[in-house]
Amino acid sequence: MSATQIADTGLTAAEAAKRNDLASRKPYVAAKLARISEMEARGDISPIIRLEKSYLCNFQCTHCSAEYYMDRHLHKVFKIEDERRKIDLDDIRELSRQADELGIARFVITGGEPLVMKDFDAVVEAIDPDKHYVITDTNGWFLDYERAKHLKAIGVEKVQLSLDSFIPEQHDAFRNKPGSYKRVMRAIDASIDAGLNLILSTVLVKGRAKTDEFREMCEFCTKKGIGLYVSYAKPTGSCTEHPEFVITKEDADIVREFEKKYNVFTHMTPSYGSFKGCITVKGLITVTSTAEVTPCPYIDLSLGNLRETSLAEILDRGMRNPWLGPHRPDCLIGEDPQFIKLHTEKTKNSVLLPVPWGKGFSDSDSLVD
Amino acid sequence: MSENNPADLFDEFGRCIPAESVGAHRKSRRYFQIAKPEIDYAAILERSVRHFGNSIADELDAARFQARVESILEGLSKDLATKNITRGVGIPFIVPKTTEADIGAALEKTYLPAVAAAFHEKLPDATFKNHNRHPLDGQLGIVSGSRHESLIEAAGRSAVVGIYFPCLSEYSVPGAVAQTKLLPEQFTLAGGYDTCAALVGTPDLLIRADGYPPLLWLGALETQDKTSGFHFEAYGLNLTFNHRGHHDKMAEYWWCGLSVLG
Repeated sequence: MSATQIADTGLTAAEAAKRNDLASRKPYVAAKLARISEMEARGDISPIIRLEKSYLCNFQCTHCSAEYYMDRHLHKVFKIEDERRKIDLDDIRELSRQADELGIARFVITGGEPLVMKDFDAVVEAIDPDKHYVITDTNGWFLDYERAKHLKAIGVEKVQLSLDSFIPEQHDAFRNKPGSYKRVMRAIDASIDAGLNLILSTVLVKGRAKTDEFREMCEFCTKKGIGLYVSYAKPTGSCTEHPEFVITKEDADIVREFEKKYNVFTHMTPSYGSFKGCITVKGLITVTSTAEVTPCPYIDLSLGNLRETSLAEILDRGMRNPWLGPHRPDCLIGEDPQFIKLHTEKTKNSVLLPVPWGKGFSDSDSLVD
Repeated sequence: MSENNPADLFDEFGRCIPAESVGAHRKSRRYFQIAKPEIDYAAILERSVRHFGNSIADELDAARFQARVESILEGLSKDLATKNITRGVGIPFIVPKTTEADIGAALEKTYLPAVAAAFHEKLPDATFKNHNRHPLDGQLGIVSGSRHESLIEAAGRSAVVGIYFPCLSEYSVPGAVAQTKLLPEQFTLAGGYDTCAALVGTPDLLIRADGYPPLLWLGALETQDKTSGFHFEAYGLNLTFNHRGHHDKMAEYWWCGLSVLG
């Protein structure tokens, strides 16, 4: 795609420049990304694949959605080992191949903390950064300039860096890691200097949208030219013990108003006129360390296992499920009380997550049971 | 939820009960809702005159407008099959006399600007945004079986008074068309003029602080691509107009409307 073609799509100049740069380095990936809107117009989907190969983490955050998947949790609470077969690099290569066939273009390596994975580079290679746009999540602890340069060199395009308060003590307390705020600030500069695309992600708990701290974080990101991704606290994982974190529509509407003046967005924010709403399946899926596919990082109900079912069929299951497809404006697991209750009931007795297809989600699901 | 009488066409909340053959959720948990507004006939008339033009005032005053709407409601209430529709949300509207033969052109030149102006006037801190990039001029037709041509023809002769009922909740767009064909003749599937007129008279129809309203399709209008359509949708406390594919699917969030003229 030429620069002229990109300039005609209504993008901001900065976004067009980024896409032109990508097109010059990775034309196959850029072409796939450019086709997403026409895929959506046809009724096809191109979700971002969040890949949770490992749940190892050097943090223990108050709101972690992955805590219940972690070995440390299974050891401490249930005194068991997770004997299920874990995904390996061959599984990731196969997932990459199936995703590419479906026109899917984006992978996020997440966890756990991806940058503690010894095989991180091999995972990037298995995804294939010449076929897919590769993003990594990180808490920033290990992301200095050298590491950022290395990420760029192996094909990572973007970093999503977590910052949960603009007040250092609050961030460190939320993350249960003294010094983590300073490491995030270092990682911001390191990522920018290394030429990585960068967004900050932050968890919105009830009432935070009205605070000076949140507004100041929005102002900081806007001045710095960094997007701030706001993730609503969901009552799953470690947050199950904090139902008071769940936001109200008023909180969500404040963030929507902030989008008018700050560089801030949620997973439901329209992108260049595309109003996807809740992106479960339509815009995002998670592949867990046991090859289960869930419709969102916070919904612990599987749509199928990639060792038994093709990715295409798993996505179809999601899109024909009345909770998940084809369109809703709110966050299913963060805002819909009936679904939150259903999810809590379906997961409360499950030691090993996610709940398999047929026992959580199924083709007989109904909104009014 | 109480059982409906087999003869009822609408349930106790005013929702049109879908026929077995029609693409729609059989039951609704009523998660997406439109709050029932207080009807102020004089205010609706004044807004319609301000944003559509004085020609409406030449044909109607508040008393006549109210009388015509009440006559529609009375007719619906007297019929056991249709009486329940009056339990739901019903928005009186006035479509101005529209001699422009092209529906898309009329929407672009008259109706959408009127919605924008009425919305900004009522909610100055919020925004109305037209995200649609698809041309409307010369591109819109009336869906066969929607009966919507009756409204277009009436609007060509004089201002039209009617009630907009967003009661085809959780129907696919083809399902809404199929259901309309099964209803008595006075029901027409809502399209552009009537939905816009309802939003001019009641600009905050889709604005809720305490929950989410539905998306409203202009179900009676079609383009060459029959699997997509135009719609109004709230975004927080703001209102949007846009185009998207529906691909004949149904969603809890997707509603169509019926209009009854009087």
